[in-house]
Parts: sequence; structure tokens; C-alpha cells
Amino acid sequence: MTSRLADPISSAVPAQRAYAPATRARAPLAGVRIADFTIHAAGPFATHMLSQLGAQCIKIESLSRPDAFRKPHAVYGRMQAATFDQVSANKLSVRLNLKQPEAVALAKRIVALSDIAAESFRPGVMKRLGLGFEALREAKSDIVLLSLSSCGQSGPDSHFAGYAPLFGAWGGLGWMSGYGDGPPVEMRHVMDHAAGMHATAATLAALHQRRRTGRAQHVDLAAREVASAMIGDALVQASRGHEPQRPGNGDLAMAPHGVYPTAEPDRWLTLAVRDDAEWLSLLRVLDREDFARDARFVDAAARGRHAAALDALLAEWLAARPADATAARLQQAGVCAHVSWNMQDMADDRHLRERGALVEVSADDIPRRLAVGAPARFSRTDDVGIRRLTPALGQDEDYVFGELLGLDSASRADLERREVIL
Amino acid sequence: MPFQQEATTPPDQPLSGCRVVERSRTVAAAYAGRLLAAMGADVLMLEPPTGSPLRRAPPFVDETAAGEQGAESALFAYLSLRKRSLVCDTGDAAGRALQARELARADILIDDTPVRERAAAGLAPQEIAERHPQLVHLSVLPFGASGPKADWDGEEINLMHAGGEGFLLPNGLSNELFPERAPLKIYGHFAGYQAGSLAVTSALAAWWAVPEAGGQFVDVSVQDAMLAVGAFALQRLGDGSLEHRTTRSFRYGGVFRTLDGYLELLTLEDRQWGALVELLGRPDWATGDAMRDPLERSRRGDWINGHIREWMARHSVEDIVRRAQELGVPAAKYRSPMEVSQGEHERARGLFTEATLPDGRAVEVLVAPFQFRCTPLKGGGRVPALGEEAKETTR
Repeated sequence: MTSRLADPISSAVPAQRAYAPATRARAPLAGVRIADFTIHAAGPFATHMLSQLGAQCIKIESLSRPDAFRKPHAVYGRMQAATFDQVSANKLSVRLNLKQPEAVALAKRIVALSDIAAESFRPGVMKRLGLGFEALREAKSDIVLLSLSSCGQSGPDSHFAGYAPLFGAWGGLGWMSGYGDGPPVEMRHVMDHAAGMHATAATLAALHQRRRTGRAQHVDLAAREVASAMIGDALVQASRGHEPQRPGNGDLAMAPHGVYPTAEPDRWLTLAVRDDAEWLSLLRVLDREDFARDARFVDAAARGRHAAALDALLAEWLAARPADATAARLQQAGVCAHVSWNMQDMADDRHLRERGALVEVSADDIPRRLAVGAPARFSRTDDVGIRRLTPALGQDEDYVFGELLGLDSASRADLERREVIL
Repeated sequence: MPFQQEATTPPDQPLSGCRVVERSRTVAAAYAGRLLAAMGADVLMLEPPTGSPLRRAPPFVDETAAGEQGAESALFAYLSLRKRSLVCDTGDAAGRALQARELARADILIDDTPVRERAAAGLAPQEIAERHPQLVHLSVLPFGASGPKADWDGEEINLMHAGGEGFLLPNGLSNELFPERAPLKIYGHFAGYQAGSLAVTSALAAWWAVPEAGGQFVDVSVQDAMLAVGAFALQRLGDGSLEHRTTRSFRYGGVFRTLDGYLELLTLEDRQWGALVELLGRPDWATGDAMRDPLERSRRGDWINGHIREWMARHSVEDIVRRAQELGVPAAKYRSPMEVSQGEHERARGLFTEATLPDGRAVEVLVAPFQFRCTPLKGGGRVPALGEEAKETTR
């Protein structure tokens, strides 16, 4: 697959076909290698983030157990494999049929050449495959292993498998999210990726620990605990015997605070007013300074007590106003405001493109489309972002099996024939 | 090794020896410091004389104390465990000198000072780079430190919607029940937490590169972080689907009201559907030939959910979850904070630790959303009182 990564503003430029490792001085994690056994969303997101920062990520999968994006998915109405999978971008792909001991041995050889190994199977699976932490530590004495799972590597629920909505339900985030008079809310992919995001941070901390001590580490991330971390304040309250209530869009310190309709259908304006100065600015922008002396809204405490009346007034005041222009005017006046954006708004946003957070990508079989680019901007090691797109299954075996492991073509053909490489 | 061992931090923590200075007023920056502190870094908050605004941010430890002078913020307690606090007023020269002294000893500076206020506070990136060439200057701002909207400000509700996920919530049952209502944010500071976590990743990556590249300025944006975790919706856009909260619910499954609580049920794979049919007692409506086809099931999603709802309403959530787990049906109870706080699984894993508030009371706080099995994270600790570190004695 020849992939092209387009400059966010100018036209597409071709990228190399072969894998081009990031250079040491240009990408913060250049030189770091990951043996990546993760599947689905959360784990692959973690290693994808590291790859955006310059780590070389070798994705280990097989034809008999391909990752989810390589298969049709009825839930998303996808009748064939995905042509582009964000979390697989930047990765190298090799096939190993881990049901075969020789494949496990080869996987260990890849681990021996890696700094990090990452997996997201149900706890116990890696050990059954002969790839548990102790086995990997034998292969590489200072390996950092990331295990990302629903419920963690220990505890009575550790064998529970699940998806993002279940993480949110177990962890309490689902319960705390929702309209005050309604049911809990189901978390979606952001929950998976939040788990991956936290896993990335912990894995890098372990890598620093290894640099300092020379010792291996096993990072154990439970996605449901990430959901719990998102309600850390409510859990402090619960520890004192209080059962927190679902606040919906409300805030205990700010009013007005919410999501309001505008003149445009389904185009909502979000507002958060933190203090009296911002309140007065809001009134000025909306030409309602006649409310400046209204006793109900004279200070934050009063506005909090009359939040419902305030919300009704805001809905009335904004009903004839354009969403985007009003948000911009409010921002100029120092009021926190933003339109509730859909993904098309995001895609059209010049700010995100200029930051490189959004990039255009394309390949021979992938028409130009948008992807999430560099997670952050670095002033020196600025070679971060997407280097190549979703790899074809086994696309990088010449490099990994040939160059890294030193297997000659006859050996590889033999391994393929015996379905070790499959 | 350039790291200096801290007396207060056990040597076996992942980030032992890492010295962090934190200037924070937002959850995103404070959470970055919190995660670093949890992993063993020495995190010093430089606070204005009035204290961080997060000290006064809701929710409060005792709901009844909300708004009262001196009420303890549960949010601040969560975000500040195991940090140290030093009062440092950058409005005067002595404060800026104190800040420079602390930065000279630091590996990472976490900074959410708005761009236009940085120069006056002695935090201009160029100046920091010149004076502290080995320092990682980690900027964490709502819309980042560069780009046309770098000067825009935003609270969580704005950023959740500027990042694309707010528009897509609520989905499923909530949206079905209240289709006319405004979109809804995720509880608390979800966007801020993603940015804080991303900030840690970015700072640790930059710190990793210090031997080759020296220190540098790292620019993290809350909006970018939300876009990153919302990448799947962007991928769907690339596939030709603009997601909307009214249509992105699962065809069947989702949130169900049971006899005594809410439950999440999700069967994405064929074998899980088969197990669900078992769970429901193999009813006639679920066992016909048509129901074997995943696409046909998707088409009949509402009808299937109607049947499941009727069944769920007659059973207890704990019974359903127990049986579902036995059969291999992905199902989970929607647990309240109290249930999570008292959870057997959480207790077994040591998810919480006792912490001391500035007023001396004890609370329990979540240690960290990850574990290091070879060198477990240290529990306990205090939430620092404002300026508890005397200026002349800071390490």
C-alpha cells in the first residue's frame, strides 16, 4: 500500500512505501520498539499514540485471528474490512499463528528486540499462549509489558470481558452521566480510547523507570478503573457517605451553564459563566443589560439559586441568534462559549488543521480523508504524527522477519507452509 | 543518572526522582500533575496567595458545606493528593525569582497560564527555554498554545462540545426518552482528564528525549485530546457517515431498566447473541431462523429491544448479571459511586487509599487508574494545605 500523507493545508504528498523509522533527534520516542499484541480499540489506541510519538510498533496478528477492523461489522453496517483504521495507522504488521509453539518462540524473539510489549486479551490468555509476563521477562529481562483489560489482572471480576459501555457502567461514569430525571448514559468509543490514553501515560512512566533501574515492569490497566477515575471527585464524596446526584448539564458553581438552542435547528450553543464580570459581558453581547441589576442574578450564588429561570431566559435570548457568530462574539468578550460541533464542523476547522491535530491522508486504495494527527506539538522533536496508514496483514515481514530476526526466505517459506506464519 | 532521589518518595516508584513544578488553574493541568504524583514524581504546586481556584471548585466533600467559607473541595482533594503546595505570587519580582529557583531544579513544568498572561508571569516559552534548557515546558490549554483559536477559553462543557463528543450525547435510551432535550455532557471533567492524561504522555515522551534533544516546549490542547479519543467518529465521517446522537445507538442492546436498577447489555458477536437467547430462556421470538442472521437482527433492533426490555423489567439486576457472566453475555450493572466505592473488586485491587484533607479529616481517594505490578504504587498521603511549604525550606 502506498500511502500519502497530505500537509493539512497544501496538497497531498507521497510517502515512502517501505517503513522509514523516525530519526532519533526528531521524534521523542524514536528508537523505542513495541511488540504489539493488542486488539480492538483500547489497546491499539495506546500503542497508536506511542507510534505517533515516534515509537516503532510491530502489530502481531494472524489470518486465523485478525483484528476487528479486518472483518465486516454489522453494528456499523460495514460489510467488508475497514479500508482505514485510525488506531492501526503507523503500525507494522506481521503474521504469527500463536497457536503454534514456533510462532510463540518467534513472538518472543520480537519481544527480545523490543522495549515494550502490549496486549489487551482477557487476563490469562497471554500466559496460556506462553507469553505471560514471566515468559516475556525471560526473553527480555527489562521488558515493559502493558496489559490492558476490562477489569484488570487481579480481583474477583478479573475474568469479566466487556466493551466501552460496560466499562462505563462498572466504573460509575455511566451512572453519573445523564439527565437528572433520566437513566444512566452509555459511554462509547471515547471510553475505550480514554483507557488507551491512560495506558500510554503509565507505559511511558514504566519506560522511564526501566531507564533508571534496568528492571522490567508489568503495567496493569483496567478500563473500568479509568471510568472510575473520571468520577474521582464523586468517589471522594461517596467515601464520606454521600451519594452524589447526576448533575446533567448543570454546574454547582457556574450559572448560566449549559447547552442552549439557537436560531439554527440542532445547532446548540454551550455557555459557562464563571463570575460577575463574565455575566455582565454576556448581557452586553446579548443586548440584555437591563438584567444587570436583576436581584435574582446579581451574583454567582443568586444565579445558582435561579439557574432554571436563567436557563429559560437564555433559551429565549438565543433563540433568534446565529450560533457560530454569537460564540465568536462571546469569546471576544471573555465569555466561555462554543457551538456544539458535529464531526463535519471538526473536519472543516482551520484551527485543528493548523495544529496538525487533523490531517488529510490518502493511499492507492484510500481516497483522501481525514485522520487524527499529532497528539501534541513539540518544539524540538517535532516529527510526530501519522507516517503511514493501516497496514495490510503481514505487510512488513521482510523487515521484521528478514532484517530484524534474520530469517532467510527459505525458512520463512517453510514457516508459512507449516502455518506458523499464517 | 541525572535523577536525584527524593526523601519523601520511595525509590521504587515509576517516576521516583522526577521533579515537577505545576502552575494550574484548570482540571486538565492539575490532573496531569496528579497522575505524575501518583506514579512517584515530586509535584510542587505554585499557587497564588489566594490559592488555586480548584480549591473552591465543586463538588464539595460535604454537600451541605457547598458555598461555605473553607468548604473542602472533593475535586481538589482528588486532584491534589500527594502534591506539595508553595505560595508564589508571580505578580511581584520575588515571586518570579522563587518560581525561577524551583524551575531550575525541575524536570517538567506544567503550565496552563493563558498565552497572553505568560510573559508577565515569567513563563514565556522562549524565556523558559533560555533559562532552563533541560526543562520540559508542558503547556496545557483549552485550545492549545498555537493556532487561530489559541486565545479562546473554555470550561468542560464548552470543550466537550468543541471536541465533537458532546453533540453525540446522550445516545440510546436517554435520547429515546428525551429526544427534544439539549445534548448532554459526560459527568465531571472527562475532556479535562483526557487532556491531562495526554499531557502526561507528551511530557514523559519529551523527557525521554532530553538526553538527545534537551528540553522543549510541548503544546497540549484539551480540544485536540477530545478529538483524539473521539477518533472513531472522524473515521466514520471518512466512511461517509456523519454520526448523530439520535442514530448512533446500538441497534439492540444498550441501557435497560430492570426490577431494581439499570443494566448495560451489549452483544456484538454471534456467540454472544446465542448466549443472550439462553439468558432470556430461549423465547420463541428469539429462536426463529431469521434471528440467526446478524443483519436481520440489526434491522429488527427496536423490536428485539422491546422484548428484552419487557423481560429485564421482571428480573433483578444482580441475578441477570450473574447469569449473564456465566453464559458469556456481556452485561454490567450501572453502579453508583457508593457501589463503586464499596466494590469488592475495587477493594481487592486496592483502588482506593485513605488521604488526609487540609482540615485533618480522612477521605478515601482513588489511587490511580493503573497499577505497576512489580512496584505497587504507594498509598496514603495528604491533600496539601495552601502554602504548607515554607519558601525557604522547599527542597
